[in-house]
Amino acid sequence: MPLAFLIPVFSFLACPLIILFQRWLPGRGAPLAILAIGGGFVVWVLTTISFLGASPASPGCDVSGITGALTCHFSTTWFEAGIPGVVADVDQAIHLDWGIIIDPLTIVLLGLITFVAVGVQLYSLEYMKGDPRFGWYFAWQALFVASMLTLALADNFLLLYIAWELVGLCSYLLIGFWFENPGPREAAKKAFVVTRIGDVGLLVGILLLWLNVGSFSMTEAFAAVESGVLSEGTTLAVAILLFLGAMGKSAQFPFHVWLPDAMEGPTPVSALIHAATMVIAGVYLVARAYPIFAASPEALLIVASVGMVTALGAATIALVSTDLKRILAYSTISHLGLMMLSLGALGWTAAVFHLMAHGFAKALLFLGAGSVMHGVGAHGDVDIRRVGGLRRAMPLTAVVFSIGALSLGGIPILSGFWSKDEILLAVSDHLPMIFIVLAMLTAFLSALYMARAMFIVFFGPEGEDSHHAHESPFLMTGVMSVLAVLAVGFGWISFNWPGAFGGFGSFVFYDHAEGFHFNIVLAGLSIVLAVGAFVLVWLIYVRRSVSIESWQTRLAPVLRVVGNRYYVDEAYQWVIDRVILTVSAGLAFFDRAVVNDVGINGPADVVRKAGVALRLHVTGHVYSYALVVALGVIALAIFWWLRSV
Amino acid sequence: MVPLLYFQLLGAALFGIGLYGVLARRSAVLIVLSIELMLNAVNINLIAAASYLNGIGRFDAFDGQIIAIFVITVAAAEVGLAFAIILRMYRNRGTVNVDEINLLKW
Repeated sequence: MPLAFLIPVFSFLACPLIILFQRWLPGRGAPLAILAIGGGFVVWVLTTISFLGASPASPGCDVSGITGALTCHFSTTWFEAGIPGVVADVDQAIHLDWGIIIDPLTIVLLGLITFVAVGVQLYSLEYMKGDPRFGWYFAWQALFVASMLTLALADNFLLLYIAWELVGLCSYLLIGFWFENPGPREAAKKAFVVTRIGDVGLLVGILLLWLNVGSFSMTEAFAAVESGVLSEGTTLAVAILLFLGAMGKSAQFPFHVWLPDAMEGPTPVSALIHAATMVIAGVYLVARAYPIFAASPEALLIVASVGMVTALGAATIALVSTDLKRILAYSTISHLGLMMLSLGALGWTAAVFHLMAHGFAKALLFLGAGSVMHGVGAHGDVDIRRVGGLRRAMPLTAVVFSIGALSLGGIPILSGFWSKDEILLAVSDHLPMIFIVLAMLTAFLSALYMARAMFIVFFGPEGEDSHHAHESPFLMTGVMSVLAVLAVGFGWISFNWPGAFGGFGSFVFYDHAEGFHFNIVLAGLSIVLAVGAFVLVWLIYVRRSVSIESWQTRLAPVLRVVGNRYYVDEAYQWVIDRVILTVSAGLAFFDRAVVNDVGINGPADVVRKAGVALRLHVTGHVYSYALVVALGVIALAIFWWLRSV
Repeated sequence: MVPLLYFQLLGAALFGIGLYGVLARRSAVLIVLSIELMLNAVNINLIAAASYLNGIGRFDAFDGQIIAIFVITVAAAEVGLAFAIILRMYRNRGTVNVDEINLLKW
C-alpha cells in the first residue's frame, strides 16, 4: 500500500520521455503512455486489494475520528525551515510533509480515473490516428492523468494545490490541442482564466487554513475544525474559499461558462475532462474537505444552493442545445450541480456514488459522440438536426450510446438511476421542500435531454449528414462496450448483497456507514418521470405523434433566453467590456502618464539634459586639457604662496 | 659671480616659452619640441640650484646634476615614444595637426 504513490509516478515519467523521444519511440510514444497508466491501474488494483485486507492495526493505518473510515497515511518530509534549535520560537518552525492518503474515497476515485484514462487513451489511438502532434497528445494525456491522480492522493493542501494547478494547465494544453484554429485557442484560454478565478479562492482558503492551523496537513486541519480551534467565522470563510476553487474546476454557476467551450478539444479529451479528471476535482475537493463544510451549516447551504441553480439552469440549456457535444457538456454541468447539491444535503455517499456512475456514463457518451463524429466525418460540431437515424450505419455505437443516455437519464436498473435516487433521498431528508421539487424537475429534464439526443441522433429519420456514416474501428467500439457494461452494472454495487460486502455505502461513507436507502415514493416518482420523459421524446421525435411546434411558438421568448444560455456569456462580456476595460484604461493612463512619464522618464530626462550641458567641456583637444592643467598648477602655486605669506 | 636669480629667470623664461608652445602650437612635432624646452628649463634650474647650494646643509653639487642627467635620459626616451606616436598618427589620419585630432570630443 505505501507504493500507491507509484500510480501517478509512472505517468509523470512517461510525459517527459514521450516529449523528448517521441520521434524514436514506437507509435510516437503512445504505447508508453498507455503502459504508464496501465501500470497505474495495476498498482491501483494491488493497492485496493491490500486496502480491503487492511485493519486499523496495519502500519500507517487508523480509523479516522472524523470521517469514521479506515484511513492510511504514508508521508515523508518535504522540507523543513526554522528547525527547533535554530529558531528560538519553536512555533515558527515549518515542517512540511508530502505524502499520500488512502481511504475509501481515494480508492474509488483512483479506480475511476485510471480506468477511464486507460479506456480513453486506447480509444485515442484510433481517434487521433494521423494527427501531426500524435506524440504530444499522449504526453499531455499522461501528464493530465498523473496530475489528477496526485490530486486524489495528496494528503496535504499544498500538494493538492500543485496538482490542482497542473490539472488546469493540462486541460489548457489539451482543450487548445488544435491551436491552429481560433476556436480551440479561445476555448483553452477561457477555461484557464475562468478556472483561475476559482483557483485564487482555493489558494487564499488554503493559506487562511494554514494561518490558523499552522500546517498544510489535511488531518491536522480537520482535527482543528473538529476541536473548535477554528472559529465559526473562519471555518465558514475557509469553506467558501475552498468552494470557490471547486466551483471553478467543477464548472458551477457562474463559473460554468468554460466547460461547454472546452469541447473544442479532441473528443476523447472531453470524455476525460467530463468523466474522470478536471471537473470532478471540484467535487472531490468538497468531498475531501467535508469536515470543514460539515462544521458550517451555512457553507452546506451555499454548496447546495449553487449546486441546485447550476443543475437546473444547465439542464434547461441542454434541452434546447442543438450540438451533440454541447448537450453533453451542459449535461455534465447539470450533473455536477446535482453532486454539489447532494454534498450540500449531507448526501456524501450519494455524491461520490453519482460521481462514479456519472463518470462511466459520461465517458461512454462522449466517446460515443466522438464515434459519431468519426463516423459521419464531422470536424468540430455535430448538429443533431443534421444527423439522424444512425442506428443502421453505426449499430454498436447506437447501442452503447443509448445505454449511457438511459443510465444518465435515470432509467431503472442502470447505474444512473440508483445514484440519482440516493441524491434525491438525501435532498428530501435534509433540505427544504423547494430543493426536492427542483431536484425532481432537474431529474426530469435530465431524462428529457438525454432522450432527445439519443432519439434524434440514432433513431429518428435519417439526416443529411448521415449518408456516408460508418461504424468506428474495433478499438473504439471495444472501449465503449466495456464502459457500457459499467454504466449498466456499476449501480448494483450499491446494494447490500448477501455476503460480506455491505454495499457502496458501507465502504465509502462520511461519519457513519450507511446501508442502501430506498424510498418507494421517491423512487416511484423518479421512475415515472424518467420513463415518461423518454416516452414523451420518443413520441415527439420518432413516432412524431406529438407535436411541440405550438408550444415552441408559445414559449418563444423563454426559449430564446434559454437558447442564449441565459446570457451569462454576454453578461461576462459586458462586465469585461464596460467595467474591466474601463478600469484598465484608467490604470493604463495612470501607468503611462504618472509612473512612466514622470516617475521613470523624469529623472532620466534631468540626467540627460545635465549631461548635454556638462559634456561641452570635453573638447577633444589635448592642448585645451593642458591649458587647464597649467592654469590649475598656477592656481595652486598662488594658493600656497598666499598661505605661506 | 652671477646671481642665482638670473639663472632662475632664464629657466622661468624658457619654461614659459615651452608652455606657450605646448598650448598654442598646432603641430604635434612642435608641441613635443616645446615639451623638451620645458624639461630643459627645469634642468637649468636644477643645475644652477645644485651649484649654489653646494656645501650648504646636506646638499652637494651632484644631487642636482644627477637628477638633470635622469631628466635628459627620460626626455630622450619620451621623444622617441612621442615621435613614434606622431608617426602612427600621421599614417592613420594624414595630419599631425592636433586640432583635427579630436576623437575624444563629446
